[in-house]
Amino acid sequence: MKTYEIPNEIELANTLEQKLELLKNIGRSFSVFRIDCGSCNGCEIEIFAAITPLWDPERFGFKLVANPRHADILLCTGPVTRQMYYPLLRAYEATPDPKIVVALGACGVTGGIFYDAYSVLSGIDKIIPVDAYIPGCPPHPASIIYGLTTALGVMEQKLQKVSFEHDGDMPPLVEDSVMGNTLFERDLLVQAKRLMSYVFGRKLFDKYIHALVQSGNTKDPKATKVSITQAMQVEDDPRYAECMGILHNEIYTQYVLCEEEDKIDLHRVVWGAK
Amino acid sequence: MMKLLDISKKYGEITHKYPFEPYKVSDNFRGKPAYIFDLCIGCAACGIACPSNAITVQFNDDKSKLIWEFDCGRCIFCGRCDEVCPTGAIKLSEEFELAVKFDKSALIQRGELDTQYCTTCHKPFSAKRLVKYSFECLSKANVSEKRLEEAKNYLCMCPTCKKTATVATFTGGKEMVIE
Ligand code: SF4
Ligand code: SF4
Ligand code: SF4
Repeated sequence: MKTYEIPNEIELANTLEQKLELLKNIGRSFSVFRIDCGSCNGCEIEIFAAITPLWDPERFGFKLVANPRHADILLCTGPVTRQMYYPLLRAYEATPDPKIVVALGACGVTGGIFYDAYSVLSGIDKIIPVDAYIPGCPPHPASIIYGLTTALGVMEQKLQKVSFEHDGDMPPLVEDSVMGNTLFERDLLVQAKRLMSYVFGRKLFDKYIHALVQSGNTKDPKATKVSITQAMQVEDDPRYAECMGILHNEIYTQYVLCEEEDKIDLHRVVWGAK
Repeated sequence: MMKLLDISKKYGEITHKYPFEPYKVSDNFRGKPAYIFDLCIGCAACGIACPSNAITVQFNDDKSKLIWEFDCGRCIFCGRCDEVCPTGAIKLSEEFELAVKFDKSALIQRGELDTQYCTTCHKPFSAKRLVKYSFECLSKANVSEKRLEEAKNYLCMCPTCKKTATVATFTGGKEMVIE
């Protein structure tokens, strides 16, 4: 759907050469006008974080202005809701030529999480020509600084389109199981992720497997109980310690024949004691 | 005014030197998902988990390849793809310098995987690597030789043919009334 035809005189005054010319010979600060086209405010918060003294974009001459008529750069956030369609166009047309448009955030770049919602047009570039894209939801202040300096040509663009077209042989992906049954590792990892989410869950999984292997015989419930309890005691972080115990009681006992006494009594183990 | 100067003297210069010096993001920062093509088996778990459909896994037009495609512009850095990927082919990295100029296609990453055709009806249904990976998993999962042989057969069939084949084994190919 073509929504907006750019008037001829705007198009002629906004060629790439003219934009580069503006950036090179500006001789003053860059005035940035920020348009919120229906963003969730996450991007706004990060923009304001980025203009604090901690990041200080005025080092490069970026200055927020309150009026599109004073602006060189339009910083657009949000997926462009129907309500913001005309205000965006008015700001775009009011900005003096040549103007540089930056789409900020996943929403500004492609519509982000809202891309198929009924009330949005999904992305600034569906309506007006965009010169630089800063992905992120919301972008880190450093990403915003990087994006703006890239647009000015201070920094080099790092991302390029990557395409792997040759499907070679894949390396062996499945490691041997410590118990001779990969289903044990599978259940263990699922439960570890359920307990502690994916990043810490993976660490928990590694810690548990390490402790299990330390016991010498992974199929001996007595030896593994001792070794896991030891690992729990020297663990600094009580979350890992308790979860290791839970994993042992819930998963290990399903794969090895265990008595009730082979389970770890979580309330009795004192952890954090070096 | 003097008070202000005192305060700024106390805290010194706190502005980050970035971009003139590299910036170190904090621990567990969720940056751009890094894709390792060699590890990807084309299982499409990430495509289903991705809340913004930044990852799509689809056949190409003549169905000779399964295309995995990731659009960084749509990614919201939630980490769900990382969470579900069985082989660790996609992991959030610490990369935050993602801006691109003029051409949005620089945000795209894609990988093409060979298609597995069904041994019975010759329709494409999956990626070759997924079948290989599944077999590798099973062979290390303590199942009997006989089951493994069966699995080898079934893995290369599309879901429909698999269903038909299973029913055929149960009934011996004869029409039966199930009571
Ligand atoms: S990109 Fe994310 S943070 Fe920014 S407006 Fe969209 S949803 Fe909000
Ligand atoms: S981090 Fe989230 S939005 Fe980004 S590709 Fe992964 S699942 Fe999709
Ligand atoms: S192996 Fe990982 S990256 Fe590849 S399709 Fe499956 S979940 Fe996605």
